[in-house]
Amino acid sequence: MRTSNAQSVAFREDANFATMAPSSQTPHLDAFERPFMTVRSTIARLWPYISQHAFAFWGGMLGLLVARLFEATVPFLLKEGIDLLADRKPGMTQAALTDEIAPIALIIAACVSAQIIVTIVSRILIRRTGVLVAADLRHRLYDHLQKQGPIFFATYPVGDLMARAINDITRVRELIAGTSRTTMVLLFTATVGLSFMAVLSWQLTLAVVLPAPLITYFAHLYAQRIFVKSQRTQEGFADLSTFVQQNLNGIRTVQAMAQETREIARFAETNQQFADDNIALIKDSSAIGAIMPILAAISTMIIIGYGSHLYKTGEITLGTFTAFFSYLALLLWPIREAGSIVTQWQRGVSGTARVYEIFDQIPEIRDQPSPLHPELTGRVDIEDLWYRFPNKDKYALQALTFSIPAGQTLAIIGRVGSGKSTLLRLLVRMLEPQRGRILLDQAPIHEYPLNYLRENVCLVLQDPFLFADSLSDNIAYDDPGRSPEEILQSAQAAALSSTIDAFPDGIETILGERGVTLSGGQKQRTALARGIIRMSPLLILDDCFSAVDTETEEHILSELKVIRQGLTTLIVSNRVATARHADEILVLDEGKQVAFGSHKDLMTQPGLYRDLAQSQQSIRGKS
Amino acid sequence: MAPSTHSAKPRDHGVFDAEISYKAPTLAEFGRLLTWAVPHRRQVLRSLGLVLLASFLAILLPVIISRVIIDGILIQNPMLHMPDLGMNDLTTWIAHQLNISVLVAALLLYGVLTLCCHGAYHLHRVTLSEAVMYALRDLRLALFTHIERLPSTFFDKVAVGRVMTRVTNDIQALFDMLIGIGMLIGEFVPFFIALGLMLAIDVELTAYLLIAIPVFGVMTYFFRLATRQIYRQIRSSVSQLNQNLQENLSGIQVVQLSNREQRNLDAYQAINVRNQRQEISAVTMETSYGAFMDNMVNMALAAILWIGGGEVIQAQISLGSLILFTQFIDMFIRPIRVLGQQYNVIFRAMASAERIFQALDWDEKLREPAAPKTLPKRLKGEVVFNRLTFGYEPGQPVIKDFSLTIAPGEKVAIVGPTGSGKSTLIRLLSRSYDFHDNAIFIDGIDLNDLPSAALRQRIGVVLQDFHIFAGTVFDNIRLGDPNISIDDAKQAAAWVNADEFINALPQGFDTFLNERGQNLSQGERQLLAFARVLARDPEILILDEATASIDTETEQTIQTALGRLTRGRTSILIAHRLQTIQEADRIVVLKHGELREVGSHETLMAARGIYHTLTQLQFQDLASLT
Repeated sequence: MRTSNAQSVAFREDANFATMAPSSQTPHLDAFERPFMTVRSTIARLWPYISQHAFAFWGGMLGLLVARLFEATVPFLLKEGIDLLADRKPGMTQAALTDEIAPIALIIAACVSAQIIVTIVSRILIRRTGVLVAADLRHRLYDHLQKQGPIFFATYPVGDLMARAINDITRVRELIAGTSRTTMVLLFTATVGLSFMAVLSWQLTLAVVLPAPLITYFAHLYAQRIFVKSQRTQEGFADLSTFVQQNLNGIRTVQAMAQETREIARFAETNQQFADDNIALIKDSSAIGAIMPILAAISTMIIIGYGSHLYKTGEITLGTFTAFFSYLALLLWPIREAGSIVTQWQRGVSGTARVYEIFDQIPEIRDQPSPLHPELTGRVDIEDLWYRFPNKDKYALQALTFSIPAGQTLAIIGRVGSGKSTLLRLLVRMLEPQRGRILLDQAPIHEYPLNYLRENVCLVLQDPFLFADSLSDNIAYDDPGRSPEEILQSAQAAALSSTIDAFPDGIETILGERGVTLSGGQKQRTALARGIIRMSPLLILDDCFSAVDTETEEHILSELKVIRQGLTTLIVSNRVATARHADEILVLDEGKQVAFGSHKDLMTQPGLYRDLAQSQQSIRGKS
Repeated sequence: MAPSTHSAKPRDHGVFDAEISYKAPTLAEFGRLLTWAVPHRRQVLRSLGLVLLASFLAILLPVIISRVIIDGILIQNPMLHMPDLGMNDLTTWIAHQLNISVLVAALLLYGVLTLCCHGAYHLHRVTLSEAVMYALRDLRLALFTHIERLPSTFFDKVAVGRVMTRVTNDIQALFDMLIGIGMLIGEFVPFFIALGLMLAIDVELTAYLLIAIPVFGVMTYFFRLATRQIYRQIRSSVSQLNQNLQENLSGIQVVQLSNREQRNLDAYQAINVRNQRQEISAVTMETSYGAFMDNMVNMALAAILWIGGGEVIQAQISLGSLILFTQFIDMFIRPIRVLGQQYNVIFRAMASAERIFQALDWDEKLREPAAPKTLPKRLKGEVVFNRLTFGYEPGQPVIKDFSLTIAPGEKVAIVGPTGSGKSTLIRLLSRSYDFHDNAIFIDGIDLNDLPSAALRQRIGVVLQDFHIFAGTVFDNIRLGDPNISIDDAKQAAAWVNADEFINALPQGFDTFLNERGQNLSQGERQLLAFARVLARDPEILILDEATASIDTETEQTIQTALGRLTRGRTSILIAHRLQTIQEADRIVVLKHGELREVGSHETLMAARGIYHTLTQLQFQDLASLT
């Protein structure tokens, strides 16, 4: 039963594409599992975006270096002041000393002001670059996604693409505006800070930095542990949400089957797990919050012990002794951050990789711009057409050859899975055939520019997708400039008039979550109106009447006959009642063309068509 | 596709879905929130004690450096009349006791106090967050338990997503707030201790420094005010970006077939550019404020040097005390920064608290009988509807004066157009809603005289959408009923033709199914639902037939299974397939909540009424190919 199921499964593109998408491509990468790209290649790929703002970016970086210099000057000045106070001669007047201290205090104030201003300007410059690059990437991603075909969208579900567009672009932004800046600041602070310290006392400087590797090691260790644990709590939160959502979606079954107590017990487990995971995370981050200052205290104690000794031997002044505490505080930050900077880079690199994975996907259908723009009549010739889905052995379409003269109506009829929808997708170049040709007005369709082809060949899909816009925007979706008369006319042809009249705002009624919800039949008829309005030389209707009752269908079909006089129309259906109106009928079975002819002809010969007609008739007969 | 009757009516957004994004905390609500911490009060108290201890120790550390080392040991002028929290004496005492130099004693003291201080901070953070986490765990569980037992009327009115965020995001907001309050305590306690010490050392200098606080406070306030506006705009433009992308990707085929790519890209870019501008102004504001607050405090160094320096010369304070002041300045600014950061968090969380309590206070319940009757061990299965009238809203009846007697073991198909009240009817039978007395009887007992749980055990319900519980196939058939053995489950599955596909699964009956049930097809889910009901052997069966189109072969299997399932059981079927209808003993036609036609397929066809029209238009068998 499993196998038979797989074969007879309703032909849905998603189903086909989903099975052929290699599962390993369903991309979920953890920053620690699979570093797709290296730091260097990440920078190389982002480079063109950053260099558009090179002046701001590098100017900002330079500014940060200058700010560090100002910052490191302050403890130096403070040292001068303290030395003055410490070395004062007993009889010194206050006025004399104030004269010496006042300039120092003023210079401190000036340095602090300069540091603030420079820091603000340069930080803004860099963070701004991050925002601009993120916006550029978003724009390019949107553009790129719109060029992709159905196979791509089967491989990458919408949710996954959304995650890349939202979270991963944010990570790229953080990489540019945060991580790279932090890295530079880190280097600057360390260099500048150490230089100032070395000038004051190189011996003490050497002694003070002794525990630095230890601090960096612990910081790195904990940064990893914390990253893993915070991932876990985020997953735990997602589990919790999923649990509640699925439980509430099935609440009627839960209650009808008296499963409340059991579900509550299961929830309690997930809930407990989430609490425990959180506490584990907090324990780790709190531990590192305690370990860091304790390790730093080793340096402090070195200053106290060794510094006192140096003071007593007269190698350093009291001001230097004091200034070392300030410089230690300054240095502590980069030493500590160096541990988590690795994690930050990993996150940025994996985010960039996920964005570029999409950019690297070459669109399945490529437009080869050519000057072919003839006035089209809608004649279609199919020559020995074969199509096979990737990763499938069997051809979905085999050796199709037929023609639709301009102005005629052709119906395609066949069972579920016979290849009807595949054929239609080939006609609008959503798929490319492996063998054979499709000619439109004697020219192969791939020689037309893609948008010209789709302008002239209009496919109305079986599953109507409507946008959360007004009804009229949905009908005139291809061209918002259409006149209200046109829109109303096509709505009328699609038997939507009475529906529109019943709506509060008529044709301007907003659809979707914030507006009116349409029934399945109404949706289908709106999609139909969207196709009718275009008056394209070739109109293709993919089983667009499945949710429309027979009477309405008859009405629409007769309207179409009048409106599309002289234009080519292709109707796919599985109802003989629909197909019989067409000039000619193509019968498909398992991807092969089994019959072609008018209703009358086909009824005279035994075969699938007559069987279908009879079985459908017999059900009617019962009534 | 066909919307069920109840979901077609508008949801009552006003009652439950309060859109509160900010809310000033009220004492009552805060108090109510605190009651959830009462069971964990020991941990809360312990953590408060720890933070006091840690803060005090944190103040002692700079005192040792400036007053003991610098004043006492280096300058050798400790000016003992000045406050040092007894540190000079303590160091001397240790040196004396251990017979070590004063410097070594100071180092030892510094090391030990550092360990104690950060150890205490660590324990404080862990105990506090444990208390918070457990209190919220309890609150979340209570909320879930409460929601789980709410009657159907609640779920008719409130969208699932909104209930969900109460249990998840709103509670998380409370967590953020409580941890934030914890952080505030951790900042304010040392601030006040330091302030006390500074005042004891030098009132004048401290007073000068204190001026900064209102200035920074006011700045922070206005900054938050300004950014709140811009962040609101950013939230809105980001959600527009996401909605646009989501919709475009979902409808990508239509977009491409309509040649809309360029136009849509332009529309997206317009939002993108707007968002970019907002982001840049937010970045500008945030950066300016942040860099200013972080560094402005260093201005105090100039003031300390100038004013304090003069006092040192006049020997009013010791040089070490002046240095101590430079070490404390950070503590002046941090509480304000943290307060500024937590301000929004607290307001948002209070709105969440209100929503959570609102949900907990929703105490709608099904009416349970005061004097419940017990059902006999085995029911005959007679169901009588007696002039049943029911509406979800007063004055808008969905079922009107419905009377019908169903004999034990009879199979009745209910048909009718969308919105005719079919689903409502079966929901009433399974007691999902309250209705008037003397309306529905089972074996002569009024449904309102039965406890709803007892009733539901005797009625087997198969809904359109089969809900899979995470667990094995066997778990999903048994559903926690200890009376159902694995053999019973296998037997039930075999009887409804479900065994074939179950055995084909990797681990047979032990295969793990997840809630989305991706590993099962529509038809397989349906068969599993049959097995689940059959294993309970209920006397009465209610079935809402799935409308999803299923391939012919599976459909045949399901029809056979359905035939076996209904045998010997009173069955009420909302039918969507012609075959199901034709196999029923009687067909009931509902329209606008009224019973319009009753009879066999042939008689109703002959009558050429509603049933005749419906058959022509609606039943799937007509449309699909066989």
